[in-house]
Amino acid sequence: MVLAKRKSGLALSRDNRWRLRKFVADFGVYIALAILLLVAAVLTPKLFAVETIAVVMRQAAQLGIVAIGQTMVLLVAGLDLSVGGIFIMTSVVVAEVGNGRNEMIVPAILTALALGALVGLGNGLLVTKRRVPPFVATLGMLVLVKGATQAYTRGVPGGFVPEALGIVNQSWFVLSVPLALWLGLNAIFIFVLRGTSYGRRVYAVGSNIEAARLSGISVDAIRISVYVLGSLFAVVSGVVLTGYVLYVDRFIGSGLDLDSIAAAVVGGTAFIGGRGGLLGTIAGVLIIQILSTMVVLLGLDVEVQFIIKGLVILGAVTLYSVAATDA
Amino acid sequence: MSKPILEMRGISKSFAGVQALNKVSFRCQAGLVYGLVGENGAGKSTLMKILAGVYKADAGDIIYKGQPRLSASTGEVIASGISIIYQELALVPQMSVAENIFLGREPRTSLGLLDLGRLHARSDQLLSRLGVALDTRSLVSQLTIAQQQLVEIAKALSQAADLIVMDEPSAILAGSELDQLFDIIAALKAQGVTIIYISHRLEEVFRIADEVTVLKDGEVVDSRPIGQLDRHTLVRLMVGRSLDEIFPQTDHEQGDLALIADDIATDTILDGVSLRLHAGEILGIAGMVGSGRTELARALFGADPLTRGEVRLVGEAPHWKTPSQAIRAGVALVPEDRKSQGLFTALSVRINITIPILSRLSRLGIVRRAREERVVSDAQQRLSIVMTSPEQETQYLSGGNQQKVVLAKWLETAPAVIILDEPTRGVDVGAKFEIYKLMRQLNDRGIAIIMISSELPEIIGMSDRILVMNDGRVAGQLLREDADEERIIELATLGGAEAQSA
Repeated sequence: MVLAKRKSGLALSRDNRWRLRKFVADFGVYIALAILLLVAAVLTPKLFAVETIAVVMRQAAQLGIVAIGQTMVLLVAGLDLSVGGIFIMTSVVVAEVGNGRNEMIVPAILTALALGALVGLGNGLLVTKRRVPPFVATLGMLVLVKGATQAYTRGVPGGFVPEALGIVNQSWFVLSVPLALWLGLNAIFIFVLRGTSYGRRVYAVGSNIEAARLSGISVDAIRISVYVLGSLFAVVSGVVLTGYVLYVDRFIGSGLDLDSIAAAVVGGTAFIGGRGGLLGTIAGVLIIQILSTMVVLLGLDVEVQFIIKGLVILGAVTLYSVAATDA
Repeated sequence: MSKPILEMRGISKSFAGVQALNKVSFRCQAGLVYGLVGENGAGKSTLMKILAGVYKADAGDIIYKGQPRLSASTGEVIASGISIIYQELALVPQMSVAENIFLGREPRTSLGLLDLGRLHARSDQLLSRLGVALDTRSLVSQLTIAQQQLVEIAKALSQAADLIVMDEPSAILAGSELDQLFDIIAALKAQGVTIIYISHRLEEVFRIADEVTVLKDGEVVDSRPIGQLDRHTLVRLMVGRSLDEIFPQTDHEQGDLALIADDIATDTILDGVSLRLHAGEILGIAGMVGSGRTELARALFGADPLTRGEVRLVGEAPHWKTPSQAIRAGVALVPEDRKSQGLFTALSVRINITIPILSRLSRLGIVRRAREERVVSDAQQRLSIVMTSPEQETQYLSGGNQQKVVLAKWLETAPAVIILDEPTRGVDVGAKFEIYKLMRQLNDRGIAIIMISSELPEIIGMSDRILVMNDGRVAGQLLREDADEERIIELATLGGAEAQSA
């Protein structure tokens, strides 16, 4: 009886293997997040204290804002490694232009956005007009931006971050300014990707660039615009981070660049483009942030964080590639 | 009757809940050629992939050389003497012919080093068994597709294959190349090799097969010696429809001049082509693969920049240089390769269909969903696209339905001129018929059609006029009344001047 039951269960699972794959591809990341929360409830119940949640969400927002841009770049089969340089540049610009004067915050941010847009434009032009592979183009841009920033500051960043930028540390219970910003930007860009013709074109270009071109889409314009957006999101994240630490640091935001790629990939956005989206990235960001926090709460070495992160990314990529294999 | 070399019994297989094969039985005697025919999605390729060890059958037995085989890896299958030559050839372009034939099994000297002498000698031997002269030292990337296919066959022989499956080998061949393939098949057969030949083209099956098995919807409809079959019966077995109904006829009148191309050339092979296209007509473009047909389509659509000449609609100045401008002018191109140029396989049917008309469907950049859904459901009904929902990803549709999605997408742009590059390639006979009917309907609405095709019956059956291309130029023009396969092949292979003097 028991045996027969088990057998039919197996047969069913074979018939439904394809459905299961699709399910994993579509919902795997949310299930993983739910399981992680259950594990956390047992191992590190402190994670659910209001103060901890507030910290986790603030950090998630920090990462999440860059990850929005990174996800969009990945959707057009691109990659943006230059965001790390943009954090440093943003922090230096805010300090130099702002130089302790609160009334200069807006001009400082606008300057950073303009420079960021230029970096994105550079990335986009290299990738489209010069056909440089995105990895190489944005890596080169990363080194260029970092180098230019250091040359400008001669290694010792000057100026002061205006005090009033500390406004980003305001919060209402768990809802901090960065979190609100993250949620708001997500709402806007989820709509842009799903409901506007621009969003459709982004997916189309990522899914099949030649078909997109033959469908009358200006594929270069779409790709360049996405790289510019990616850089702008990095500037916004950089401003938030600068407001948080309130000083200039040439290592600011290190790790956020690779984490933003990891979050998008864990969230189901494919390196080959055209597949995935921002909801998955939100879950990916939360998974990465919660894992990092759990490592701290468990009193483990920070190095363990990297090992766990690495395993999670490899696990996710393996799972998606298995799910994508037809047979 | 002697014992069969291969017997597949009661093979069943389902994907994603869809029954791809249902209790299929198939047997081969050694040294004969078996034709395996059926519409796309009938299960031919699935059956062969089960034989190859790529898929595992849900049920059924395979008995090969008297040994039952439950499941085997692709490597074990090859070692047992079964070779499968897929449409997409699996060669390393940067390596030589000989290196490809013995890839992974290179003859070695006693010191374990590559034995180049034996490598080339044995490759030569295999190629001469096929009766072809090919330098074993030339790089595969420098060979024609037909020659590459020969290398694949030689590779199969080098693995001591006594059963070779050819999956639509003719899809990439033309004219004399095909004759050569048939000669080779005959030679292999004489050497006792068993061939399973999968094809859409019935003429080929009649030329070479000893026995034909027809698959339809995952089941064997019939299996008969070729002598007991004629074209009509075979088509009826495959589709349940007879041949006369395949090319729908209308007696529409030719309209006014619609599109003019004058002496156009591009950086590709295209070298000075002029053509006139009238409203409501079908202009067929024939020619060998590589004769510049596809390049002509791309040039007319603005996908490749012109280096000289001009393309324009009658009464308008030439004004498109890019596909997006061509679309706005009222020209559409259904490209040759659906998967790589026509379709967004990872995206839904809905998104695929409305991509070129997004600006019309949106206000302030926001797509009006209700209007979009109406467009999609209208298109679905008009073209009878079979899908589970408009949200279904197009990669899960059959070839015919994928092509209908691409057609639907272009019809939404309301073109005056539509260029169809191989509109029925990889499409089953049923969907083919529907596409032909649709083309006639478009003609009746005054839309001008340029149809490029490698299938001569299709060119002759559908076109009002036929342009034959050769080496980037127009080799000749035929009216439907004067066109037959021989005239077209003559022009396509000899070129205009020679053909006329001959």
